[in-house]
Amino acid sequence: MKKYIVILCILLYIYIMNEDFINKWISQVKKGTLSFIVLNVLKSGKAYYGYDLINEIKKITEIEIAEGTLYPLMNRLKDEKLIISEWVEQESGIPRKYYSITPEGKNTVTKMEEYWHNLNNSILKITK
Amino acid sequence: MKLKEIQFNDQSAERIYRDYLYRIRKEVKGLNQQNQDEILMELNSHIYENLQEHPTGNEVEKLLNILEKLGRPEEILKPLVADKKLEEATKSFNPLHIFRALMLNLTNGISYIIFFILYLFLFGFVFLIGAKIWDPTEVGFFYKPGEVFVLGLSKGLVHPSDELLGNWFIPAMVVSAIALYFIITLLLKLKRTINK
Repeated sequence: MKKYIVILCILLYIYIMNEDFINKWISQVKKGTLSFIVLNVLKSGKAYYGYDLINEIKKITEIEIAEGTLYPLMNRLKDEKLIISEWVEQESGIPRKYYSITPEGKNTVTKMEEYWHNLNNSILKITK
Repeated sequence: MKLKEIQFNDQSAERIYRDYLYRIRKEVKGLNQQNQDEILMELNSHIYENLQEHPTGNEVEKLLNILEKLGRPEEILKPLVADKKLEEATKSFNPLHIFRALMLNLTNGISYIIFFILYLFLFGFVFLIGAKIWDPTEVGFFYKPGEVFVLGLSKGLVHPSDELLGNWFIPAMVVSAIALYFIITLLLKLKRTINK
């Protein structure tokens, strides 16, 4: 009986560790692709404010992003001069910070797309 | 632009909101006023726009859902504050700003750890100035080719006559600290330019 309990515990442990690994991997993939997703939404040239951008991402991709992680990312993209931001006053008195893509951002997203397609093809080959 | 606070009908919602703003302010207080206002206003706008989308319902519940999705200020603002602090630090030559920026960025890669060690060296030079005043005979730059190489406290291991700098020790340490300081700051600037 004891033996079975030990085996069961080990199996349960492996299962939990495995789940944990997959969750970590998913969160890393999401984190790694968020800038690509954001630049893709912005590439049409339309300006978005943070909350609007989150909704748009959810609508198009059905990816649930950790909302708080968007703002540090926007700051980095701005630092890299891929996007610019502008505060726009609102009737409510609470202004919105609108983000839009720069020409450099458009070039970057095109290069990212190329890489993504190549990567996707490789992954498809390897997972056959 | 200044922050305009969101008005709530429910007192509990108001208290939760104010507590959240307080936590944001606490996280960003090391930054300059403009950066502090920017972060606070942007998160405030996020909360406001989110509330506007669901005008009906329990305010407390709505607010708690929004804040939960947004995340804890202590977690979400860490990378943002670290980035902004580094931006501020490399714009000025203020050693305190640079030191704080390095502390915040320590987990962001090995290169910052190297910068941090260089900074410790810098403080080492400054420390030696004080140590020399404290103990003029034992502290110094002791050098004898192939035998002795000590910068600091000799602890009686070497002969005081091996001290090379004498009264020039303090000026030499001052010059070393300043030189190292400029080198670190320039390297940091260079690193940020290369990263871009």
